Amino acid sequence: MTTEREMVDTVTITVDGVEHQVPAGELLIKAAQDKGTYIPRFCWHERMAPVGMCRMCLVEIETPRGPALVPACTTPVNDGMVVDTKGATVAKAQEAVLEYLLINHPLDCPVCDKGGECPLQDQAMSHGPGESRFVEFKRTFEKPISISELVLLDRERCILCARCTRFSEEVSGDPLIEFIDRGNHVQVNTFPDEPFRSYFSGNTVQICPVGALTAKPYRFRARPWDLEKVESSSLFDTAHPRIEIHTSHDVVLRFTGVDNDATNHGWLSDKARFGFQYISSDDRVLVPLVRQDGEHVEAEWNEALQHAADRLGMIKDESGGEALAVLGGAQGTNEDAYALSRFARQVLGTNNVDARMDDALASHFLAATVDRARINDLDTADTIVLWGPDLKEEHPTLYLRARRAAQDLGVELVVVHPRANGLDDRAGHKITYRPGGGFALLEAFGRGDHPEFDAAVNGKKVVALVGMTDLADGPKLPEAVAAYLRSKAASCKILPLNSRGNTYGALDMGLAPDLLPGRVALDSESAGRLAGHWGQIPARPGRDTRGILEAVVAGEIRGLVLVGADPVRDVPDSALVAEAFEAAEFVVSIDTFVHDSNRSADVILPAATLSEKDGTVTNVEGRVQRVNQIRRPPGQTRTDWAILEDLSALIGSPMGLTSAETITKEIAEVAPVYAGVSWDLLEWDHRDGVVLPIEGPAPLTHIPVMLEGHGAPQAEFTLHAARVMYDDGVRLRHSPALRKLAPGAIACINPADAPKLGAREGARVRLVTRQGEGEFDVVLDEGTPSGVVYVPLNQRGGVSLGTDPVVRVTVVT
Amino acid sequence: MGIVKDLLKGLAVTGRTMIGTITGRELVTRPYPHVKREKPQRFHGRHVLNRYPDGMEKCIGCELCAGACPAECIYVRGKENDIDNPVSPGERFGYVYEINMLRCIFCGLCVEACPTEAITMTHLFEMSTTNREDGIYTKDELLMSPDGKVPHMFPDDPLADLGELDTADGWVRATAPGGRAAYQGVRMWAGTPGVGDWSPEPSQEERDRRSGDG
Ligand code: SF4
Ligand code: SF4
Ligand code: SF4
Ligand code: FES
Repeated sequence: MTTEREMVDTVTITVDGVEHQVPAGELLIKAAQDKGTYIPRFCWHERMAPVGMCRMCLVEIETPRGPALVPACTTPVNDGMVVDTKGATVAKAQEAVLEYLLINHPLDCPVCDKGGECPLQDQAMSHGPGESRFVEFKRTFEKPISISELVLLDRERCILCARCTRFSEEVSGDPLIEFIDRGNHVQVNTFPDEPFRSYFSGNTVQICPVGALTAKPYRFRARPWDLEKVESSSLFDTAHPRIEIHTSHDVVLRFTGVDNDATNHGWLSDKARFGFQYISSDDRVLVPLVRQDGEHVEAEWNEALQHAADRLGMIKDESGGEALAVLGGAQGTNEDAYALSRFARQVLGTNNVDARMDDALASHFLAATVDRARINDLDTADTIVLWGPDLKEEHPTLYLRARRAAQDLGVELVVVHPRANGLDDRAGHKITYRPGGGFALLEAFGRGDHPEFDAAVNGKKVVALVGMTDLADGPKLPEAVAAYLRSKAASCKILPLNSRGNTYGALDMGLAPDLLPGRVALDSESAGRLAGHWGQIPARPGRDTRGILEAVVAGEIRGLVLVGADPVRDVPDSALVAEAFEAAEFVVSIDTFVHDSNRSADVILPAATLSEKDGTVTNVEGRVQRVNQIRRPPGQTRTDWAILEDLSALIGSPMGLTSAETITKEIAEVAPVYAGVSWDLLEWDHRDGVVLPIEGPAPLTHIPVMLEGHGAPQAEFTLHAARVMYDDGVRLRHSPALRKLAPGAIACINPADAPKLGAREGARVRLVTRQGEGEFDVVLDEGTPSGVVYVPLNQRGGVSLGTDPVVRVTVVT
Repeated sequence: MGIVKDLLKGLAVTGRTMIGTITGRELVTRPYPHVKREKPQRFHGRHVLNRYPDGMEKCIGCELCAGACPAECIYVRGKENDIDNPVSPGERFGYVYEINMLRCIFCGLCVEACPTEAITMTHLFEMSTTNREDGIYTKDELLMSPDGKVPHMFPDDPLADLGELDTADGWVRATAPGGRAAYQGVRMWAGTPGVGDWSPEPSQEERDRRSGDG
């Protein structure tokens, strides 16, 4: 890394009389900032191209024609440049700019949500004239207008810096906010019949240098001086963007994005930004619940734990550990996942554990892909191949990064997807195929039917983002795609995609039937390392989620432990889940809410959630970062690991876990790839996290798969069922601001197919597949190709249609 | 010899004070609570939340007082005004307002910080309670009623002098209004709570006309 830095040419500039060496070609404002001289600014933002709109950054430089005032944000440094940022001329210019900006600016500070952290306030104090000469009436607009479900716009406060418009155009790619009118009447606004419906709208609130754009969920909730803050990572996005959690009086009030070079560059999706309301939801489970005569009744912790321990212990004694299974663990910290993994193996004596909900790639592929890419590799690749989910819906940070690479860094982007995709407008090649026809398409690639694809890939430096585009192709296709690309490209790095919270961390902790902590295969030799800590563990690989559910139905598994999992909603084959929950003899759920999957659980143990516990998490590229506690766990909730520790003691095989930090130490000892990870390391030397393994090779090498699969389905309509950003997941359901953004139970069809079916927009259709059926509202959508029915997964009022792509469509009304 | 002289000297002081007190010439103590001292005009007593003459609350829930308070004894929460039924002028009003009088040091910085002169201090100082919770004054207890009367926490208390609540401190922010030093020391509001507003500043046209440039 440093070598790259050293190779950059430097030039010498003099800022306020002090000489500095700075990278050639850098903008003066940035060069000065890196050397410790802050030049005031409103419109310039480090992560966006400069525009020179506000003139706040005026500085004086020496030119052959004498000293001149130039905006530092649009002036690149030159060798020998002499800059004055503080002199009388500059101060006068800055005062004038500020006075000008304040002509029409309202005196709203006391009621303005930006007040106290407002660059305009701050710079008016530090660089302003101190007194206003204007007594004229100010230009007025209607006070805040709602431009989306999440954002309010107060045009009076806008200083026309164009940060918001540039963000939506250049960074997020949905230009829905623009300047209108002329002269004194210029205002920023949205298009009359299009709300600011962007998945990234919250970023404009964060970067607006004034209180013109404010967030509805935070409106009048607090002032900056009564907020407490801690840095953490968001689990609503598998890249784990860095966030700052802000609380006041122990209530979480907002998340803000923190700039992290390795992942999010300061940006957050609205889901990651506003998905905090569930934390203080009134519906949280705050006390242990035990089921008696079909009803949940509140219980003391010791009663509930004893009851759970007795029954789990009894099943273990009677039928052995194999009659028990553990589902979930992908929404918590690595420490919680480790405790769960150890609990299953050591205490319950079973390898029936799975953090994936039967909708994900193979555990070995997700956890230990050889040549796993880093997110930053996107910037330096020749070609990015995306054959997986729509990043905009499921992996917003990766979406922004891939978009930037393709748009600004000249990386070629190839998108293979069954329907319109968020990155289409930046894709050099877009290849569309019928859902379920993935393997057929891959064979066509192999035959050379797509020369433009070959040209983009063959012999190139490729980063492949592979995952399940929908449920139809099955989890093997991405592995085959990866293998294919590896055989063609000069170098191919892979990011295997999975969309659930901390799945990568959970798998690294061994929450899969064939894995042990540290990306170790169950049958490998390094498994022996565990013996000292875990004692004897069962040798036979366990069952995965589907296997577990089938075994429950067959009566082979009697007891289930659910940890932060909602299989009823998440597992595609919902009929099987329903049957399994019916058949299960004893279910313990450790969760934050009561939901469809634990509604009839025998014991529900209330769990703490993000912001209420410390620990580490692992993201899609294998980067370990800290999450931090800032608030007391409410009610009687406790962290997962502490609950599991108590259970283990009551079952008679205590694990001896004493704190999250000691668990991290234990992980570093027993999990080979986690060697060297500690809280000190993450808090001091590597605040942005470390990518694993820190040194040495990954212990598990992935076994390449066979290129085999089924041909494209022959049917009039095929189903593309995919996850979208806003669904009816447990946490979103309890976040009022985001809940209403979910599209609902809709079926998108191409307008050309509508007459054929006799359907119009808003009509109700019945969709029937081999595994499910249900009614949906029709949305006519150009993005969905003819012959495809697109159904967003897990929506309120919707049903799961399973994984079979063949669908029959009949119009109901 | 000297001892007797000193003794007599001392007794003379006692005698003089005794006589002075009986005759009322040199009164040091008062038969409080039956008789109270007159307090200085800028006495810092219990707070009151004021209203505009039209009945609207002045507090906009901005939390500046809470931010300024060195004892951190003010707790404010703002909320959005219902457009058809606003509590205060503008977008925001003080939804929760609490002062913990057990912690308050009566420095008056909240009064100084308040941008709308919503909070002022009265002359009432008897606030002892028999439990700590009563030491926390809520918005209901601090806010004057629409007729300009200020509720007393314990109106039946033998110590209660309701008149004390009708007098606000004559506090004027050193630089009020508009930050102009020329206004320093100029009394900007009456010594009673509630009417702490002055007539609006004249418009530009008005000013021009008055100064003869228009
Ligand atoms: S944007 Fe800043 S300066 Fe303008 S009213 Fe809000 S806090 Fe005050
Ligand atoms: S709304 Fe904010 S970000 Fe957008 S132009 Fe106005 S001041 Fe800039
Ligand atoms: S009393 Fe004044 S300073 Fe305090 S919240 Fe109300 S308006 Fe703001
Ligand atoms: S920051 Fe340079 S012109 Fe706005």
